[in-house]
Amino acid sequence: MDFKLSEEQQALQEIARDFLRERWPTSRMRDLLDDRPAVIDEDVWKEIVEMGWLGVAVSEQGGGIGGDVMTAAVLVEEAGRGVLPGPLQSSLVAAIAIDRSGDDGVLEQLLSELLEGKTRLTLAILEPTGLYGTDALETSLKEDSGEWMLSGRKILVPDAEGAEMLLVAARTPHGPGLVRVSSDAEGVALSRMERMDGQSCSEIVFDAVRVGPEALLGDTSRAAELLQEVCGIWTVLMAADLLGSAEGALELSRQYAIERVQFGRPIGTFQAVSHRLADTLVDVEIGRSLLYGACLALDEKRPDATALVSAAKAWLSEVAVGAAETALQVHGGVGFTWEYDVHLHLRRSRCNAPLLGDADFHRDRVAAYMEESWQPMKRQG
Amino acid sequence: MDLKFSAEDEAYRQRLRAWLKENVGGGGGSVASAMKGGAAEEGDPLFAARAWPRKLHDAGYVGLAWPKEYGGQEASFTEQVICAEEMARVRTPPLINTIGLSIIGPTLVQHGTEEQKKRFLPRILRADDLWCQGFSEPEAGSDLASLRTRAVLEGDEFVVNGQKVWTSLAFLSDWMFLLVRTDADAPKREGISYLLCDMKTPGIKVRPLRNAAGGQHFSEVFLDDVRIPRENLVGKLHGGWSIARSSLDHERSGLSGVIALEETLGRLWRMAGRVERGSASALEDQSTRRALARHWIEIEGLRHLGFRTLSNQISGLPPGAGASVGKLFASEVRQEMTRTALGVEGPLAPIAKRSPHVVDRGRWHAAYFDALGHSIGGGTSEIMRNVIAEKVLGLPRALDD
Repeated sequence: MDFKLSEEQQALQEIARDFLRERWPTSRMRDLLDDRPAVIDEDVWKEIVEMGWLGVAVSEQGGGIGGDVMTAAVLVEEAGRGVLPGPLQSSLVAAIAIDRSGDDGVLEQLLSELLEGKTRLTLAILEPTGLYGTDALETSLKEDSGEWMLSGRKILVPDAEGAEMLLVAARTPHGPGLVRVSSDAEGVALSRMERMDGQSCSEIVFDAVRVGPEALLGDTSRAAELLQEVCGIWTVLMAADLLGSAEGALELSRQYAIERVQFGRPIGTFQAVSHRLADTLVDVEIGRSLLYGACLALDEKRPDATALVSAAKAWLSEVAVGAAETALQVHGGVGFTWEYDVHLHLRRSRCNAPLLGDADFHRDRVAAYMEESWQPMKRQG
Repeated sequence: MDLKFSAEDEAYRQRLRAWLKENVGGGGGSVASAMKGGAAEEGDPLFAARAWPRKLHDAGYVGLAWPKEYGGQEASFTEQVICAEEMARVRTPPLINTIGLSIIGPTLVQHGTEEQKKRFLPRILRADDLWCQGFSEPEAGSDLASLRTRAVLEGDEFVVNGQKVWTSLAFLSDWMFLLVRTDADAPKREGISYLLCDMKTPGIKVRPLRNAAGGQHFSEVFLDDVRIPRENLVGKLHGGWSIARSSLDHERSGLSGVIALEETLGRLWRMAGRVERGSASALEDQSTRRALARHWIEIEGLRHLGFRTLSNQISGLPPGAGASVGKLFASEVRQEMTRTALGVEGPLAPIAKRSPHVVDRGRWHAAYFDALGHSIGGGTSEIMRNVIAEKVLGLPRALDD
């Protein structure tokens, strides 16, 4: 029984926090809001690549440090706290997807280029149907007179501008899977969408894009499982980002409640303020507990992993937004100014909350898990 | 990072499971119902109620954290957690000596004199002595430190006058531990002492109070020139406040509470499967499903918070924010679940327990009232928020005292 971060993970957490504080001041993010899409400065990205962050969850034979999802979550949480824009999160997920898709010389080459920062990859999952989940995919990979074609439309694809390679979720003859496509292939049309937190996202149309049969990631028997696995990992990393936002917002509130004096005393002495922050702290601690539980379940490949991932995402989607709204309220007038950081966290958590499934979507998945695992009990009645 | 218990711990769990299977019949119920079970034997109306804790004691499953020389087990943190979990899982009958086991026992282990430990601890473990807690007063609830019950030292005895209230199980207790004011001139936290009082002492009058749920659980206790020997002082004279505070710190990982909540959620799920909504069951209603999923998420959050707290304890670290956060969150979840349950009952929710039309024999009404009381007893949720704001968030103290 040792349910806490390892010493290495704690060290990484500290390094990441200090690095971002120094190299990515929040003022930088604020400036970029007027200059969309907000992309990380090249030199900061270069340092991140050199520190080996992109390989923390990649196996040793894949060129990483053999870490796990938990370690990736540690980094993404710090990115959330430090309002760091892409492409850290999408690159981490893409690296995991390639690493876990099996032995293939081309992919090994691609992965090592990704980890070295020479090639950029991202993933395209969401479609304009208003539905989440891979059962609802309309994008499809089909064979037509000996040729494989990818057709469909993706939205909110993160960090696609500047990515050489796209991993696209699609229905295939072998079930839903991830299809590898060059972003400059014929028939790929990218147009910029804008997120209110400034981060890069795009709409991509695939119009009968010709790909080879090897474009499907993982061998055909495992493609669907791989997509599920990658979606689970991405969802939990999105939850980690939300946790970082929530903690960042809570810390702003905490500081302000101590410093700000009204009626002759710090506003943190008023229970209308302090109880709101205590409730936020409770929500954040429960969220952190769920996140760790979900990461560990994924790393151990436990049967309850899907439900725990959904639990973490459902909970933190609401908690992060709540923490930022609370921060705005606790700060009063200055919280509503451009100069204070509160809106940076509010924007980020508002953007991330619905991605990869909103709270209701994930609660429905939890209910499905309950039904499945409690069926025997139900019969006993 | 891992959630596995060691092979020794798992063996302990298996032994305990086997023992529980052998020794627990139908579980559940309240202390009050345990009191009704079985005839009085040897002139003791509580003989049947004491039988269960005695059986547990003989098998070595109470007093896990206590030193062996006073009848405890000196068990590890993980064994304590496993024991609490397994008992919650099979819904063992309530322990009539629970206040002794969970509050005054640990307090005496930490602060008692050698004589007090030898005299009281073994009798607590065997449920020979039942204890009640005399803290709250009519004018001292959340503001406990403003308590007024006075104790004046006359020779070798304290003479105590005052009134206690919300005293759980006072009417069947043999002993009471209580806070009294021994120095009226000192700042209010510095003039309080911690005493142990035999409930048969002349001058004590217990008046049971009926609670909002209709049951009898707590009482008023009047103390009129009650004489308590000086040897029954715990800790230093005027040093009672910090001892009372430390008894609130005997908080654990809360993992056994998680098992109980999980069990309740399972019942709620099955009830929703039986309750009709037109041609379907309430369980097929999306808003009900989402509400139940939310509870599942909350319970998993609590469970993993408990694992974090336990991991800190095992590594010799302070439990962290987990203990106070867990207590506050658990009582909120418990209330919210019972509200959901009454919502799921729908039009049948108003039916009284004694009616043959009642759903689940009225369990959810009782649980609802019980849950509402839970965020008051042992420190209100508002006080817990004060504690979190000050101790965890480091916000300035709200009050000047």
